[in-house]
Amino acid sequence: MDLAALGLTLRLATLTTFCLLVLATPLAAFIARRNNLPARLLQAAIALPLVLPPTVLGFYLLVALGPATLLGRGLIRILGHPLAFTFTGLVVGSIVFSLPFAVLPLVLGFQSVDPALTGTAAVLGASPLTVFRRITLPLASTSFLTAAVLTFAHTVGEFGVVLMLGGDIPGITRTLSISIFDQVQELNYAAANRTSLVLIVGSFLALLALYARRSSRRDSDA
Amino acid sequence: MPEIIWPHHELFVEAELGALHLHVTVSLNAPWTVIFGPSGSGKSSILRAACGLLPEAEVEFRRLTSSPPHLRTEDLPGGAALVWENLSLRPPHRRALSYAPQHAALFPHLSAGDNVRFPSQVCEIPPNDSALVDDALELFRLHSLAARMPAQLSGGERRRVALARAFAVPNCRLMLLDEPFTGLDRALRDELLLRMRAWLATRNIPVLSVTHDVDEALLFNAEVIRLESGRGGAQGPARQVLAAERDRLLQVLS
Repeated sequence: MDLAALGLTLRLATLTTFCLLVLATPLAAFIARRNNLPARLLQAAIALPLVLPPTVLGFYLLVALGPATLLGRGLIRILGHPLAFTFTGLVVGSIVFSLPFAVLPLVLGFQSVDPALTGTAAVLGASPLTVFRRITLPLASTSFLTAAVLTFAHTVGEFGVVLMLGGDIPGITRTLSISIFDQVQELNYAAANRTSLVLIVGSFLALLALYARRSSRRDSDA
Repeated sequence: MPEIIWPHHELFVEAELGALHLHVTVSLNAPWTVIFGPSGSGKSSILRAACGLLPEAEVEFRRLTSSPPHLRTEDLPGGAALVWENLSLRPPHRRALSYAPQHAALFPHLSAGDNVRFPSQVCEIPPNDSALVDDALELFRLHSLAARMPAQLSGGERRRVALARAFAVPNCRLMLLDEPFTGLDRALRDELLLRMRAWLATRNIPVLSVTHDVDEALLFNAEVIRLESGRGGAQGPARQVLAAERDRLLQVLS
């Protein structure tokens, strides 16, 4: 069992989940509220990582963050080194890769809030931001949990983007899924088995916690 | 010299709502105005348009800025110096309205008391009446229910909380009540109506309400506007406008 890889994976997933929830909230609010072309374009762009091969995403991220683009050159000037093959680069890649898993549950959550409630709150004097903070957010709180669990689990399980963008540097970019790949390459099936089991059990428990909470909530509502 | 009463609010709404073509001009000049019409005649849509919650409608909504609702011509320098605020250009939260929607629309995650407290907590100009919330809870006899969640309230109790929440809006210039007494028994309704009238009179807040109940429209003893399939019909004192309706009902009963 590669403990360094386990620690790195958990750190990556935690950081990605936190950044994504902050980033996804305004995006989801925009998509949920607007029924126009820009909102649909944004939604389609955000959902893209669901259907693209991760290697495509990893490849373009590698190019975009490298010295070939303006963005990449700017980043290199600020940081003093390229983002690719660093832990920060992995976080950026994971954020893009897991974006739909954070945004889409939040869009559904925000859309499920009865417009009669938000409208009434507005007439009673609440500004759009206050309506969002005091009515929409609390009523959509379950979807934040869904978004967090899905983002975390998805980040733990990602492979293609990590390999393209991070390479396989022990302690820096070698995550559990890469570690399993290496173990299989070395024909060390016992180690691969142990690592895989950890991932299966962990993912199952996360999903179990999510669904158990949902059904207990439904019971208490009834 | 005849007394001319200027409307304190004027509302024009035009909208295509499915099969219904709504085309109404409502001129409010009484302390309490009731829009009376059968179900599906577009009553609730008129209130929602006034709130700015009916984006598909074309709305013109204006308010006389001088605060007393009743102005006589001799009070006005030159007679033509009426100043109107165009409310249709403002977002819902800046219209100084208060609203009790048809299905109560209580915030399900807040207790009854917190629902009533909501308007004074979110308003941009701090309320100058610190007892407003307590008074509103008292007016609708809700102190004993304040800790309950909306899901634990009966239909009539929810309705009272929604009314109390509307009454607890600070700096309100017009109150919009959609079927305010649905689900309340007659005795309670009559008692509440008296208390609400007294409250509104002291604070000088006019009301626009809608109902489909002739009895209720008569009881308000207010200015009544009859709404028929999306168009405004007769307007005037309740007994006058609803006389025909009352005769018809009496015939049915006898």
